[in-house]
Parts: sequence; structure tokens; C-alpha cells
Amino acid sequence: MPETNATLDAVGDEVLARRIAEGPPGTTDAEEAELYRRFAPRVRLYGRRHLRDDGAADDLAQEVLLRTIERLRAREVRRPEEIGSFILGTSRMMVQGERRITRRREALAARFIDTTVDTAPASTATLDARLVAGCLRSLAERDRLVVLLTYYADREAPRIAEDLGVSSGAVRVIRHRAMARLRDCVLGGNRT
Amino acid sequence: MTTPGCGQVSLATLTDYATGELPGTDAAAIEEHLFSCADCAARVAEFDGLVRAIPPAVGSAEVGGFVTDAVLNRLARDGVRMRSFTLSPGAIVPCAVWDDDELMALRLRADFGSASEVTMRQRVEGSEVIRATGHLAGASPAELIYALPAAWVRQLPAAEVEVLLSAHNSGEERPVGSYTLVHGGSLHR
Repeated sequence: MPETNATLDAVGDEVLARRIAEGPPGTTDAEEAELYRRFAPRVRLYGRRHLRDDGAADDLAQEVLLRTIERLRAREVRRPEEIGSFILGTSRMMVQGERRITRRREALAARFIDTTVDTAPASTATLDARLVAGCLRSLAERDRLVVLLTYYADREAPRIAEDLGVSSGAVRVIRHRAMARLRDCVLGGNRT
Repeated sequence: MTTPGCGQVSLATLTDYATGELPGTDAAAIEEHLFSCADCAARVAEFDGLVRAIPPAVGSAEVGGFVTDAVLNRLARDGVRMRSFTLSPGAIVPCAVWDDDELMALRLRADFGSASEVTMRQRVEGSEVIRATGHLAGASPAELIYALPAAWVRQLPAAEVEVLLSAHNSGEERPVGSYTLVHGGSLHR
């Protein structure tokens, strides 16, 4: 009988990786979905930091985990007990590749076209947008503005500091406070 | 979602990591830890969900408040339909929202002097409906932008909307602008 997500929840990363590697083709869909659920947020976070683009971070998570599952199925992951390190290594490698592609794309763009195209797709959020909008409204004006400039307008920290006429350190403190309040408001009773 | 026991990576650390404000060596150590710690993985999932929920929430045009051109530009790129009014002190401007407008942006011009903080009040038929205090953006701002969800504006009665701005400086508050929007109600195409 296939395992449910509830039972897979208790399985360690190493066991999950071994099951994908050793299971007959087509029998490990649940394990693959669980591996994706566990690691996609971490790869997206890594991508958000290194690629500075939410859409590219989404793509990175999909590509890294797809490649990881392919390598597991092909039994090319030598140490399943270190699957986290393998996924981090793959993320690093693909970000380097992405940077090379971006540099090449920018060089070509500079030669042949004179405009840049905004290619960032909208993220697929799972939290209720109305709830999050209500929580954003409940933040103090400056706290909300820092959150909007950081996570909506994709403004870099020094630009936010310049825009608001405060130091980068102050922006950082405001962001910490605002995100904690936003998290508490959005997740409320769901946190333990 | 749960917040697990491992206290090595806080929300503040994740925020700094994601915005690139951690030194390279610290960031690399965080990465190594995050990819091997199941407890912190739940914390990352929580943070990831929160960050990914912000753009659709803001794009829903239900947030409003003091904004900058950077925020308005992203809203425009997201296809949010905005109606913008630029007002100088003393202005009396006819205003209405169309049924497909999503956001109203008020560009309020004033001489803010050396003030760093400002309070905006809106009154309809003598009753205060909005009071917001925010910090002025930039070194010497000549205007500030306040965004209102059009759905909220639509439910106002056809009446004059008084907008009053006051600036705060060294604990003192002084009026810097009064503006009147003659609200004609919601218009249909």
C-alpha cells in the first residue's frame, strides 16, 4: 500500500532519498513530492539571495529538484545520507550557470537591443492574499513601506535607506520588526 | 505550520540572508545548516510562504497607505488600474472613481520644511475617516504619495473629502496643506 504524506512526514531525508533511488520506476511519486515539499522553500530562499529575482528563484527550485530526482533515480547520488548537501551543491552549480547565461544574455542584449524586459513572473502564493493584505494594512506606515519596497518593489537595501532618508541599519531593524509582526498576524494561531 | 525547536536560524537571520545583508562567510554557514536541519527547514518554509504571499496581496490593491514611486511602478507593471491626483495646497479638485479602477493615488504637494514625519487626515462631511502618520521619504521631499483602495473610495458618499496634512518637527505639529476632493461617487463606463 502506498504511504500517505502523513506517514512520509516522519521519514528522514536519507530514507526518502534511498526510496527514490531504489524504488521501481513509477512507484515513488509520493516520496518525490515529499522531497520537493521539503527542499523547494530552501532552494527558493537560496535563489532569492543569489539571483535577486523571485521568478528566477522559483525556476531554480524546480530545476534543482527535478535534477536531484533524476540523479537519484539514475543512482548517481553517491551519498543519499547527505541529500541536503547534494541539493545545496546542485543549487550552487545551477546559480553559477544561471549567472553565466545572464551575463551572456546581457551582452547580447547590449549588442542587439536597447531595452530591458521585465521577465519576473508572479509568484504562486499559498497564503490567502486578503488575509495578508489585511495584516499589511495593520502594520505601522513606515514598517509597511519597508516591506513593500523590499518584497514588492524589489528595492535593494541601500536604495531603501536612501528613499526613506534613514541608515541601512535602521532599514534592517524596521524590516526585522515588520516581518515578525506580519508573520504573527498572518500565521497567528497556526504557530506553536 | 509550526515553528520548530532549533534556534540557530531566526526570522531576522533569514530576512538578512534573503536580502543579502549577511557577510558571505556567515551566509555560507547558514546555507550549510539550512540544507541539513529539518527543524530549520520548517522555519524556511514559513518565511518562504510569507514572502511569496506579499506580491499577490499588494497586487490585490487592498493595502494602500504611504507609498513611493517604486511601489506604484510595480503596481502598474502588475496591471493594477490606478487613478492618480496631484494636488497642491488649497486645491479643490473634482474626483470620482470608475467602476474598474482598483487604486487611487493621491500625490500631495507641500512645503514640508525640515520635517521628517507627517500626518494625513481625511474628513468626509465633518467626520474623520482616515488618519495616518508616516515618515517623509527622501532628503527634501516636495510631495508624498498616499494610496487608497478604489473599493474603499467607491463606498464614500458623493461629498467633499477634506484632506489635511500636517508636518511634525521637534515635537511640534504644523499644518502644511489642505486639499479638497469633490467626490462625485462611482462612475460606470
